[in-house]
Amino acid sequence: MLTQLKENIVYPEPKKQNIIIEVNELNVYYKNNHAVKNVSLPIRERSITALIGPSGCGKSTFLRTINRMNDLIPGAKCQGEIMYDGINLLDKKIDVVALRKEIGMVFQKPNPFPKSIYENIAMPLKFAGIRGKKRLNDIVEESLYQAALLDEVKDRLSQSALSLSGGQQQRLCIARALALKPKVLLLDEPTSALDPVSSAKIEDLLLSLKKQVSLAVVTHNMQQAARIADQTAFFYEGEVVEYNDTSIMFTKPVYKKTEDYINGRFG
Amino acid sequence: MIVKNGESSLDHKTVNRRLIKENVSYRTFLSRNSENRGKILIFICASLIMAATMSITLFLTLQGIRSFTVDGLNPIKFLTGIHWNPESHQHASYGALPFIFGSFTVTILAALIAAPIGIGSALFMTEIAKTWGQKMLQPVIEILVGIPSVVYGLIGLSVIVPFIRSQFGGLGFGMLAAAIVVGIMILPTVASLAADAIKSVPDEWRQASYALGATKWQTIYKVVIPAALPSLLTAVVLGMARAFGEALAVQMVIGNAKVLPHSLIEPAATLTTMITLSMGHTTDGSVLNDALWSLGLILLIMTYIFIILIRFLSKRGRLS
Ligand SMILES: Nc1ncnc2c1ncn2[C@@H]1O[C@H](COP(=O)(O)OP(=O)(O)OP(=O)(O)O)[C@@H](O)[C@H]1O
Ligand SMILES: [Mg+2]
Repeated sequence: MLTQLKENIVYPEPKKQNIIIEVNELNVYYKNNHAVKNVSLPIRERSITALIGPSGCGKSTFLRTINRMNDLIPGAKCQGEIMYDGINLLDKKIDVVALRKEIGMVFQKPNPFPKSIYENIAMPLKFAGIRGKKRLNDIVEESLYQAALLDEVKDRLSQSALSLSGGQQQRLCIARALALKPKVLLLDEPTSALDPVSSAKIEDLLLSLKKQVSLAVVTHNMQQAARIADQTAFFYEGEVVEYNDTSIMFTKPVYKKTEDYINGRFG
Repeated sequence: MIVKNGESSLDHKTVNRRLIKENVSYRTFLSRNSENRGKILIFICASLIMAATMSITLFLTLQGIRSFTVDGLNPIKFLTGIHWNPESHQHASYGALPFIFGSFTVTILAALIAAPIGIGSALFMTEIAKTWGQKMLQPVIEILVGIPSVVYGLIGLSVIVPFIRSQFGGLGFGMLAAAIVVGIMILPTVASLAADAIKSVPDEWRQASYALGATKWQTIYKVVIPAALPSLLTAVVLGMARAFGEALAVQMVIGNAKVLPHSLIEPAATLTTMITLSMGHTTDGSVLNDALWSLGLILLIMTYIFIILIRFLSKRGRLS
């Protein structure tokens, strides 16, 4: 699926049943800026992994590397291993277009296309060459339902997506990302531009999505991480200081740095 | 104290004048740090432009309708007649349709040439080869914009006309040659405006598109072009307005025959070429002179229509 399979890619044994993405010794550079340093981290299947850490510590960079959105940034360079389905996603032979259909991404600022609500969700389907009115309708409806947006917009599917509120727009973006049924969804501060009520809706949504997709969420909101994440990774200056089950991390962090950050002593 | 909207309870005897707006007077105009001085200067400049536009419009309208009001030409016949024969003493006829037709045909053909190439090169330098495309094409476009139209005309005369002659026969002069010359002439305008339009499409939409598994080409034609479409159309219409008004380069290659041409490669004429060619040989107040003013009026009306079109397009482009 993902690659034009070639013999020189190594297929290691799956290490643990429930790990969907395993990052090993990942290094990312922007020109001379070493943004991600030797990061090793698993992302578990059907769970939410929260990435926390102070601004500029490389969370977004890490996330973008997973579905190769970093390829679009001139001067960005990656080394290491991101194992997914037995292959290294950083390999030159990866078809990034196919990869991004399996590993979707949602951005900090809601970014619906300046088109109708329906068109927004139909867009990735068209990219994937999925045709047929009936089929498109079904998937659009299903995606909106999964994103808990269907009831609010079912009578106005042909209206501009930009007429929705910020929170609705973000759920539309999630619905859009779900349309191709990705296995993994990467979310970069999906609620930081939203009000508390809209954020709560998105949190509920992410919890419900856990049944179908594996999620990695960057957040600056400690309570949010504590509420929704199964595992949490603490990034600091490009490195992962600590990774653990959220319940352990937030009650008995191993490192002083983690504790300080979680308790808001710096950031 | 209750102060109603638009009224002031502060009379002029108030002691503390620090927070009170100054009155407009010659003194405020002369004072160095007066806010009003700048405002007045800007207002004068703006009024000058408005006055110029209005007087041109008024003058051209008054002159342009003389042929109908004073000389008694029939406006319908003027617009639809196909014979332009002012020299004949008994049967002088003033049918402007060949020139109106010539202007529109040349303009539309020029747009058909310039739009795809212009938008294509704009896409190339903004989306495909961002760094070196920009570096190479930007100066080329700037140079092309700066070349005077007579040079385009000369190139048309020495390259395009002979080429058409050898390919299609005939003289080579005609609307096709004019459209090619004008198309190349407006190409840089269209390209640079289109590039601005494409650059102003927010990057978020490109990101969204790539993140949804779009290829570069899909991103360009399903996301970038639709988002930029109103501004792209504006770029083309602006180019068309230039093409419509171009006289010199067209005059050099169109052949200047005052007849309705049967094909694109027969000599023809446009509104502008007729005016530039004939105006010098007429006397003020003669029927022919008035008729040429009427052609000018048609040009002005078309300019207004182009402007309204651009306004409409750019308003539609603003997203709700
Ligand atoms: N597009 C880019 N080009 C060059 N350097 C970048 C780019 N994006 C990020 N960086 C650099 O990489 C480092 C990590 O940035 P990143 O955006 O990943 O941090 P972050 O943890 O997501 O921060 P925040 O919480 O503020 O979003 C920073 O030093 C930043 O300056
Ligand atoms: Mg970030």
